[in-house]
Amino acid sequence: MSIYKSAVEKPITTLMFFVAVLVLGVFSLIQLPIDLYPEIEPPYISVMTTYSGASAADIEVNVTKLIEDRLASVDKLKEITSSSYDNMSVVSLEFQWDANLDEAVSDVRNALDWVLDALPEAADRPNVFKFNTSMMPILFYSVTANSSYSGLEKILDQKVVNALNRIDGIGSVSMNGAPTRVVYVDMDQSKMDAYNLGVEQVGNVIKAENLDMPSGNVKMGTEDYQLRVEGEFDESVEIAELVVGSFGGKNIYLKDIATVRDTIKDLSFDQRVNGRQGITMIVTKQSGANTVKIAGAVRRELQKIAPTLPPDVKIEEIFDSSTFIRNSVSNLSETLMYEFIFVVVVVLFFLGRWRATLIIVITIPVSLLSAFIYLMMTGNSINIISLSSISIAIGMVVDDAIVVLENISRHVGRGSSPREASIYATNEVWLSVIATTLVIAAVFVPLTTISGMMGVMFKQLGWIVTIATVVSTVAAITIVPMLSSKFLKVRPANKRVMRFGYVNTVGRFLDVFDRAYGRLLGWCVTHKKVVVVLAAAVFALSFYVFGMVGSDYMPETDQGRVTVMIELQTGTRVEETMKTVRSFERLVAEKYPEVALTSAATGSNDQGGVSALFTTNGSHISNITFRLHERSQRKRDVFELAELMRADLKKYPEVINYNVSTADGGLMGGGSALQVEIFGYDFDKTNRVTADIRRRLDSIKGAENIQVSRKNDRPELKVRFDKEKLMRHGLNSATVSAYVRNRVDGMVAGKLREEGEEYDIIVRLNEDSRNTIRKLEEMTMLTPQGKQIRLRELGRVEEHWSPPNITRKRKERIVTIDVTPVGVPLGTIAQQIQAEINKVEIPPEVLVRIGGSYEDQQESFQSLILLLLLSILLVFIVMASQFESFSNPLVIMFSIPFSFSGSFLALYLTGTTMNLIAALGMVLLVGVVVKNGIVLVDYMNLMRDRGMKLNDAIVVSGRSRLRPVLMTALTTILGMLPMALSAGEGSEIWAPMGVAVIGGLTFSTMITLIIVPVMYAVVSKSGERDKARKVRKRFRFMDNLDSGNQN
Amino acid sequence: MKAVFIVFNQANTERVEFLLDYVGVRGFTWWESVQGRGTETGEPRRGTHTWPEMNSALLTVVPDDRVDAILEGIRKIDHINTEVGVKAFVWNIENGY
Repeated sequence: MSIYKSAVEKPITTLMFFVAVLVLGVFSLIQLPIDLYPEIEPPYISVMTTYSGASAADIEVNVTKLIEDRLASVDKLKEITSSSYDNMSVVSLEFQWDANLDEAVSDVRNALDWVLDALPEAADRPNVFKFNTSMMPILFYSVTANSSYSGLEKILDQKVVNALNRIDGIGSVSMNGAPTRVVYVDMDQSKMDAYNLGVEQVGNVIKAENLDMPSGNVKMGTEDYQLRVEGEFDESVEIAELVVGSFGGKNIYLKDIATVRDTIKDLSFDQRVNGRQGITMIVTKQSGANTVKIAGAVRRELQKIAPTLPPDVKIEEIFDSSTFIRNSVSNLSETLMYEFIFVVVVVLFFLGRWRATLIIVITIPVSLLSAFIYLMMTGNSINIISLSSISIAIGMVVDDAIVVLENISRHVGRGSSPREASIYATNEVWLSVIATTLVIAAVFVPLTTISGMMGVMFKQLGWIVTIATVVSTVAAITIVPMLSSKFLKVRPANKRVMRFGYVNTVGRFLDVFDRAYGRLLGWCVTHKKVVVVLAAAVFALSFYVFGMVGSDYMPETDQGRVTVMIELQTGTRVEETMKTVRSFERLVAEKYPEVALTSAATGSNDQGGVSALFTTNGSHISNITFRLHERSQRKRDVFELAELMRADLKKYPEVINYNVSTADGGLMGGGSALQVEIFGYDFDKTNRVTADIRRRLDSIKGAENIQVSRKNDRPELKVRFDKEKLMRHGLNSATVSAYVRNRVDGMVAGKLREEGEEYDIIVRLNEDSRNTIRKLEEMTMLTPQGKQIRLRELGRVEEHWSPPNITRKRKERIVTIDVTPVGVPLGTIAQQIQAEINKVEIPPEVLVRIGGSYEDQQESFQSLILLLLLSILLVFIVMASQFESFSNPLVIMFSIPFSFSGSFLALYLTGTTMNLIAALGMVLLVGVVVKNGIVLVDYMNLMRDRGMKLNDAIVVSGRSRLRPVLMTALTTILGMLPMALSAGEGSEIWAPMGVAVIGGLTFSTMITLIIVPVMYAVVSKSGERDKARKVRKRFRFMDNLDSGNQN
Repeated sequence: MKAVFIVFNQANTERVEFLLDYVGVRGFTWWESVQGRGTETGEPRRGTHTWPEMNSALLTVVPDDRVDAILEGIRKIDHINTEVGVKAFVWNIENGY
């Protein structure tokens, strides 16, 4: 009992089976979380070690090197890089993508145990730090305020952060740049000198006065009282009234020698949103939680909270990753809908029958929903990768149903009853339907074996398309015959033909088209040489075109955000940096109406913590984020704006370095950065080479955002003690350095308690007494003998340049120059840079090479080519076994090169670069194109076996198969069209694939319809034409028989 | 008593079954899936890739007066579309148990 026969004979079982698939699919669709990308665990582990007081060079030798050597042998390690800073060493390990990170972490820990003894004693224990996608913030808010600014932290903490933390799935809510309240006691140096007081004495007095002390129990009568001494300050004003000492018999009040300021902490950090002072609030989610859902919950919660906040506090959104997700998803859903409509229209156009169209279209939801079941079972999410894969599949899933239904309706048209026709017609084609599906699987299944970043993307694509096509094939040989047996009708022969009905309009047009094609084919098979030469010429021409198509790694996406890093001369004060930033902000506000929100962070923030690992900051650096209006509301895209901003920044003389970036360094949007890596131990030599290359890069057009990893030396003030003088006054370095710290940075003299919160009381010299080297040298401190002594008498304050940070890769010192190609393909720029590097005189111990995305691009293209070869081989295997022939698959494969020609042409005409996605599109083409060839060659074989002459068989088959070939090709082409044309969020990623597939398929379909029949004629000539004669030879012994009327 | 041998394209199965019931013939012997080809125009039915269709055949022994009705029915079936194919042959039955 064959599957299609059972399906027709048990329609209810069949129907229920598919209803079950549909229900499960819809159920999965509702349950699946929505995210931007599939969940991935980037294989990076960092080891951080602090060693206070050591310079970068010390750290490199004593910490970094030891750790590197030990970790280099950890399993599955791909690359080891390190940075040695003053006081800190960071070793970053990149593992292979298939590595189990939990195992890797424990391996790293074990390896570190061996190092511990060898590390310097003062070094802290190394911390192992695993990067996780859930640490990526999903929401960025800016909070601005005017009069409530000083109390902002408390307000937010109580009203916002606590409320948000209660939302299910929230990882953390943190604030950046929040003002904290502090009580400053600013001492005047000369007055302290006059009263013979030191900062430490004053601090100790404040500490001693600020005290609550339980002092036992007192029994009085029948009661038992607790006794408490209460001396804590209720208000900061009290501090000023303290008596800190006496001089000449008179009390000295604190207010006599210092000013007490109850204010917010001095920051070397300035956070502004649209020019207003504010802070940023960052929300992260727990891993595996639904970003869209959480973002929605946070938004609702904030709306509820908003009225309870003081009126001047404004919470604005800087970045909401869910917006991009939602827009991409709805954009893709729209694409899917258009594709669906196109497919329906194509099928209806060619078949001209409502019922038949309906039956075919039913396979679309069935096979697509099965993809959701797969996503659900494997714990994936609805993301732009899975949705794109589905939209790639949509044009292919109808093909099998079309082939089956076409045959059934042919039988029905001949007068068979629908029920019988459904069974027998399906029987005729089911094997070739399965073969074409195997061909598709042969192309897509190898995709799932790719590992790494590409693998994340292609794994889902491979499985989804394979599963959808397999399910569609199952549907094509079960539910399609079943429905046909129920719904198709035998058309009465004498049915009145409507004047403007289908038969008289589209039908007639298609008939004319069939005949014209038949004539063309007839001419071609008799002029084979001309056709072959022409085809070869077209193919050669396409290679010439290919030479003009640029190559890139990954398409960049317009995420509606531009981030700008501005760097001034090292050592510039925050205030100065801010001036430049304000001026740039004003310029942007005037020039670019597209900018909806500006958020600038200037200076360094010591509270930044972990985030400081990812962004460079310093008092001379500002990071600015511009959020743009939605894509549909602006004409210019981010790339254009970024380009203009770069031009603007060039006009600021004080800006020595800038970086305008449109990507957020995310997964796929990583763009096409390129790195020139300069290996070498000697700082001077590598610096010289770096500077030379850096200068030459400026002359290359399109090389933007040039960043050198080794930063300039930093100016520093150093206090050098004269040890002998210290001894003479009974002091040592430790005490004096503590004294210096108390005077400059401040001494924490207890806390001011108010309404359950604690605020630091900081005693230090006032600004005026510590703002020149001279004044620093004039600082006084008390010797153990109670004598005043100036810093100048103990040592000198010197200006210094501190050495740069040291980065290493593969255990060698390295300098990298990052370059972002703008408007020029990555491959082109890499070649130009290589040419420039070749001109540079490089000392023998220095090695220069190009890495970054360029390296990835090369690697990826290589593995794609390998994949292509594998696919072609598998496709050949499938076809050879289907046809039981070596020559037929070869004939069909002649169409593959032409599909590439078409892709090159389309890429060239649309100005798209050859990137990874376009290349992937071309790999997919192999399957789709071959499918058309199979349909054609299969029928030609059939016609010849039925005794037709070669040329007749070719023409007849061509005419007969023209419609199915055009139909399956058109459904795929039009299915891809919305993808190629879409301009919404996230569309940039898949558009190149659309272009490549549409171009390749259009071109190759046209070529297939000519070249495959012609090649078939060429190949068949020698072998199969005289099959009959060969058979006759074997039966010579019957030669003398009366052969009847045929001779 | 006459024997009627009907060979028909499987696509005609339902019609032939209906015909037998219609003319009141109860008994028959049926071979599902037999190969064959027509003498003059009939396409081969070989169940191969080249000629995928198949015939069925049935032999029924009927009273003499049923033969004309059957043949008339077969003619009508064939008339719908001769390409699909149905043939009937009649011969005498000598004896039976």
